[in-house]
Amino acid sequence: MNSYRFSELKVGIKESFTIELDMLKLLQFQKISGDCNPLHTDDLYAHKKGFESRVAHGMLTSSFYSTFVGVYLPGKYSLLQGIDIGFIKPVYIGDSLTVSGEIAYINYAYRQIEIKAIIKNQKGEKISRAKIKVGVVDE
Amino acid sequence: MNRDVVFNKVQDIFRDIFDDYDLVIHNETNSDSIEDWDSLNHINLVTAIEKEFSIRFSLGELSSLKDIGAMIDLMLTKVE
Repeated sequence: MNSYRFSELKVGIKESFTIELDMLKLLQFQKISGDCNPLHTDDLYAHKKGFESRVAHGMLTSSFYSTFVGVYLPGKYSLLQGIDIGFIKPVYIGDSLTVSGEIAYINYAYRQIEIKAIIKNQKGEKISRAKIKVGVVDE
Repeated sequence: MNRDVVFNKVQDIFRDIFDDYDLVIHNETNSDSIEDWDSLNHINLVTAIEKEFSIRFSLGELSSLKDIGAMIDLMLTKVE
């Protein structure tokens, strides 16, 4: 886990990580959230709706933005305060997702950073983008 | 930049942050006047104002402000 302190943060600092979206994660998220919509549980239904197969929950893939903030940038001293997400393309079981982000602004008075982040799949396609606001609590 | 120009730009920022395009602010408007003006939206306001006017505030400056009029007076000392 990274542990950037506020004084170490600068606009332009970048981090990234890659994670596999497997069936177990989808089932665990379904259990936690209770979102059993057939788009996420039924391959045939999802196919009829124009998708390759069942689609991963958008909020499951978005949870990796939480990981990005809590583990990578800034890491230990983060306090997630807001996130604005756009879902661009569907994510399927077996996709390899790379989450990357960069500090875009620093509010020094309130010790809050803004991060512009994206998630891409193994084909290099952008599947979501996010503007994330994070407090830094290293004091 | 005169006070009216700054005031109108600040009003646009408030409308955007609070997602209310009919919102009208006054010099006396403060966090008690707008239901959604909570601590997070307060930070959002400050960040949006800093970006729009290319200025910076210190925590000490911000904590002494009592309303929008005082905020704009402070901004006028910083904008060119």
